Parts: sequence; structure tokens; C-alpha cells
Amino acid sequence: MSDKPKTAASQGLASCHLCLKLVSVDVHVCPRCGSAIHLRKSNSLERTLAFLVTASILYIPANLLPIMITDQLGQPTESTIIGGVVLLIDMGSMPIAAVIFFASVMIPVSKLAMMYYLCWSVRHGPPETARQRTVFYRITEFIGKWSMIDVFVVAILVALVNLNNLLVIRPGTATVAFAGVVIASILAAESFDPRLMWDQQEDNNE
Amino acid sequence: MSEMQPSISSGRKFNAIWIIPLVALVAGVSIVVHSYMTEGPTITIEFKTAADLKPGKTKIKLLDVDVGLVESVVIKPDMSSVIATVKLDQNMRDHLNKNTRFWIVRASVGAGGVSGLGTILAGAYIKMAPGDGAGKQKAFIGLESPPQTPADAPGIRLTLFSDRAGSVSAGNSVLYNGYAVGRVETMTFDADKRQARYEIFIDAPYHELVNSSTRFWNVSGISLETSTMGIKIRTGSLDTVLLGGVAFAAPPGVPAGGPIESGKEFKLFDSYDEILTNPYRFGAYYVVMFKQSLRGLAPGAPVEYRGIQIGRVERLLMKELAAGGLTGGGASIPVLIYIEPGRIELADTQESVDQFKRVVKKGVTRDGMRATLETGNLLTGKKLISIDYFADKGPAELGQFDQYAVIPTIETGVARLQQQASDFLAKLNALPLEETVAEANNVLGNADSTLAALNLLLASDESQALPGELASTLADLRDVLAGFSQDSQVQQGLGASVNTLSTTLQSLDVLIRQLSIKPNSIIFPVSHEADPVPEAYSR
Repeated sequence: MSDKPKTAASQGLASCHLCLKLVSVDVHVCPRCGSAIHLRKSNSLERTLAFLVTASILYIPANLLPIMITDQLGQPTESTIIGGVVLLIDMGSMPIAAVIFFASVMIPVSKLAMMYYLCWSVRHGPPETARQRTVFYRITEFIGKWSMIDVFVVAILVALVNLNNLLVIRPGTATVAFAGVVIASILAAESFDPRLMWDQQEDNNE
Repeated sequence: MSEMQPSISSGRKFNAIWIIPLVALVAGVSIVVHSYMTEGPTITIEFKTAADLKPGKTKIKLLDVDVGLVESVVIKPDMSSVIATVKLDQNMRDHLNKNTRFWIVRASVGAGGVSGLGTILAGAYIKMAPGDGAGKQKAFIGLESPPQTPADAPGIRLTLFSDRAGSVSAGNSVLYNGYAVGRVETMTFDADKRQARYEIFIDAPYHELVNSSTRFWNVSGISLETSTMGIKIRTGSLDTVLLGGVAFAAPPGVPAGGPIESGKEFKLFDSYDEILTNPYRFGAYYVVMFKQSLRGLAPGAPVEYRGIQIGRVERLLMKELAAGGLTGGGASIPVLIYIEPGRIELADTQESVDQFKRVVKKGVTRDGMRATLETGNLLTGKKLISIDYFADKGPAELGQFDQYAVIPTIETGVARLQQQASDFLAKLNALPLEETVAEANNVLGNADSTLAALNLLLASDESQALPGELASTLADLRDVLAGFSQDSQVQQGLGASVNTLSTTLQSLDVLIRQLSIKPNSIIFPVSHEADPVPEAYSR
């Protein structure tokens, strides 16, 4: 095992979260940028789980409540996310329906599921899948921001479509909830320290 | 591992980060609880068709404020109508009772005006009219046509019924002295009672004009009547002529009745004239049965008590009589009469009718009250029914025919006259006529002998010579008279004497005139005066 590269942690070194300078774990303040030094993100798993639970809770009203209210000639029509997708499919706009469905349903749900899996796997996952899980983490981090697309669509429509009595689009309560889901899931991904997965492998190796 | 590595406590300490999901949970739960708490009642409304009802779109409005939404529209299992499930706002919970009404508002163009234009663009909606009634209700039957008046408007809502559906329809005016004070809201036809029924509403304060003696009549169209007095045309206001309408008033001479409550039923008369002939509202039916000819007794004929009209003949109950089976033997013919206590200045109420019924019962069972058929008009032979007390008739019982009480009758009029005539003849028969004739014969025999004696007297010689003596006496009388004729000596001497007297008197006349002008002319000579000359006309 001696040919294996030594980790910084095993050398008593910690990386600054901000400027990535390697300093001794004894030092609590980064001598270069002045931010706090931790060996690993503090309470990473707990924080991640907390944000994940928040996102999961918010995801329920985000789907049940109307995300967009269209006032057409004074007749308000409320549409939920799934309702909108179904409506688009009915109207034959399959591509748009697919985009909305991916952005609003597939991405948040798969992201949450992957994050839960990652959190679980830090303690209980088989170590040999660590590389695969890192890929998961990369994907999660990448797609997370795209789920905000739904909120953006609503925000842009509200701003653009305001023809007084003819046609007015108003954001529904679900918009806030959905934005909450996206923010919570981004924060969860941010809180997660992927190095924990490798720590597990290191521990197993020793 | 370095000894310098900080010891990481694995104690189960509460981390502040969990506040975030807690807040999210509380927020989520509060939304759920809030929406559950503020969840309005879900009701069902039945409509004939689902025209203009769109699930998730059609709204329920109260005073033009959205108070609910149609969630679904399903067809009733028996396919007779559709049921709309409606979710209402929470604060509508207290307004749902049996008087709450729902109807669909659509654009409509009619004689009453154009309404609901806004629904052309925005779509139809269901209008709600809250009612004040007891009890909660979740299932409603929607009205097919909008009620004309809000449920809580001040006024009075009445029901009119009529045997035939005239030209009155929903939306027509209700007039009092020609002024519109209300409107007909709905018109339905009751197949069971075979009556047209109208719901009318009379606005405050005019609802106080309606009392228990008020009558309603149809003023639709133009009533034209021709008689010897000319042509009489009666119309309501122009819109009632074109569209129909209802008028009401108290019939002339009828005292005002008591106040009435909403929902009371009134008869809708066909015309004002019908009210004049039927001005009273309450009355009692009786049956009188006659064994005599009813010729001249027509429906509408008066029923009188000692000459005062107290009611009228309704009809002959021939159908009911026939229904009982014809037995032959000349059954009495039942006549239905209708007696109205209001005609004799009693209050026109049910109490008066009950009081009248008690009087009749007492009168019949104790005081000999009877009905008689009398001739009202000798020329036309019109008959009437008279009710009176006949002291010589003993007590009787009120009979029963069909569902009516029967007042016992006695025969009068011609029938009574016939009875009296036959009584008279019987008395005539009993007279000792033969003895009288024998007496008369005796008297005549005596007269005969007297005449024979007279004949003998005339045939005697003295009697025969009497004419000859009479003739010679007359000849003597003629001779005497001839001595006084014109050319006799007595006559001539008398004429000469008279002539002499006349001449003497003429000469005496001249002297007397002279003396009257100038009395002294016998002594003094007469001087003649000059003739008078007229004076000239002097200027």
C-alpha cells in the first residue's frame, strides 16, 4: 500500500475551503485568505440531510399547489406542474412538455434521490463504488441549477404577459415552494463533502 | 493518525441546521392545515343540462363576487339531469339552506331586456341567492330561469293559481291601479292539480296593499266587450298588453281583510269582471235537493235569504247523481250552492264561514230552516233558491251528498201553487152544490107562474080597448093646438099690437136721447156747436 498516494489528512494537513491552501490542521484560520480551516466540512452529512429533508418537504406543496395562474378574460386558470405537463402533451407540444417534465420533475427527484443515496453510502455503501458515487456527485452538482428553469419560466412569463384584462399570468404559491426545493437541494449539494466517501475508503484500507 | 488531530465529539447534540427542515415542515403543515381549515363546503347542484358548465372554470357568484368553483359535472345515473359538484368559499357555509337558490347566468335577449352580456366573453356562471331558512343543505336543485327578485329583497312573495294558463309568464309586471309594484317570477304548471301556478313578488312598501280580501286577475291583452251600450275596451298598460301581466285590487264594497304572510296562495281570475261576480274569497258549499222541475235554475242563479243574496248556484250535480246509479222512481236532483258570508257584511274569513256553518246547522236541526225553489222573474222564468225559516216545519237533520252537507228543502213556487189549487178544488168539491141548484129551481118555478098571471091580465077586454081611447084623446089635443097656429085670428091681432108698440117706442127713443144730452132742452132751445177742426201740427 506504500505506493498509494498519501492523503493530506493523513499528513495532518487541511485545505482551506476558499483558497484551497494547504495548512496544518492546528491552524484554525487560513493565513492567506483568513477563512476558517476545517479538515472536512463541519457537520457535512447532517447539514446535507437537513437540506435534503427540507427540499423533500417543500417538494410536496410545490407539486400540489398551482405554480402559475393564468387570468384569461377574467377567468383564472390555475395550473400545477404536472397539470401543465399534461396540458402540453394534450396540446401536442411534446418537446416543451419533455423539457418541463425533466426540469421540474425528473431533475429534482433524481437529484434528491442521488443525494440521499450519497449520504447513506458515506457510512454504509460498498467502498468499491466510491468512484461511481463521485460521478453521481458531479452530475448532481451539475444538473442542480437547471431545475430552477421552472421558476425562471414562471418569472419571465409573469413579467412578459400582462395584458391587463385580456391575459395576465400570476405566480402561484408553488413557485415559492419550488424555488425552496431548488435552493435547499443546491445547499444540500454544497454542504456535502465528497471527500467523506474517500475517507471511508482510506479507513477501509488501513 | 497524528496526536494533534482534534477529537471529534460524536455526542448526539442538536444541530441548529435542523431548524431549516423544521421550518419547512411547519410551513408545509400550516399550509395544509390552513387549507383544510379554510376549506369551504362542497355542494351539489342539479341542472337539467350541463350547458355552459365547465368544470374548474365556471364560477359561483354572489352579488358578483366569486364564492366558489364548479369542480366536476357528472350525469345523474338515471340520465335525467346533470349534477355539478361545487366548492364554495368557507364563509358561504352559513348561507346554505333550503331557501338558497342557484341558477345559471347566460347572455339572454328577451322582451324583458338584454342581460348577462358579460358572460359572452367570460363564460356563464352560476349565481347564488342566499336564503334565510333553517337547516343546512348540501344538495340543491338549480333553477332553470333566474328568479326575478333577490331572495332577501323587502316585499312579499305570493303564489297565484289559475285553472288555465293565460298569457301571463315569468317576467310580467304585477300592477296595482295600473302601476307596476311587482313582477311574476316563475310560472309552472301543476299536472296533478291541473293548475298553472305563478310565483309573484310584490316590492315593499306596496306589499302592504295586499290583504286577505285582495283579488288578482289577468290583465293581459285587450278585453273587448260589445253590448247595447256600445263597445267597451279594457286594457292594462302597454307592456301588459304586449307581454301580459297581473293586476290586483280589493273588489268594490268588500271590507279590507287582515294582513297576510309571504307564500300565501291566491286565485288568479281571468278578468276583472269575474272578480266583480266573485268578490269573496271564503265560502261554503251546500247541496239542496229538489223533486220539482229545475227549469230556469242556471249556474250563477242567486241564493237568497229573505230576498238578500247570500250566495249563488254553482251547478247541478248530475254527474255525482249518475255516479250513484240511476234507481228510477224520480230521485231528487242535487244542486250545489255556494254561500259566501262576505255578502252579508261578515268578515271575508274562514272564521265567518265556520260561524255560518254553525248557524245553518242550528237552523236546520232546530228552527226549521229550509231551502225552497222560487221564481225570481215571472217573465223569463228564472229561478232562484231561497233559504228561510219555516216555523211549521219541525227539526230536521243536515244530510250528506257526496262530500257536501245537504240543507233540506220544501216545495214552493209553482209546485206550492199547484198544491194550493188542488186544496182549493177539494174544498170546492166539498160544497153542497146540488141543494143550492134545487132551491134555485124552486125560485124559477115561482117566477114562471107570476108571468102567466100577468099574461091573463093583459088579454082582458079593458086592456084591449085602451089603445082606441088613447087615439081619440090625442085627436082632440091636435084641434086645440091648431087654434094657436100662425094664420089664426089670435095670432094676427097679436102681431098688429106688437107693431104699434114698436113704432111708439122708436119715437120715444129720440126724445129720451135728446134729454140725456141736454136735459134742459124741453125748456131752452137747442144751440148747434161748430164742427171741430183739427189743430195744425206746430213745430
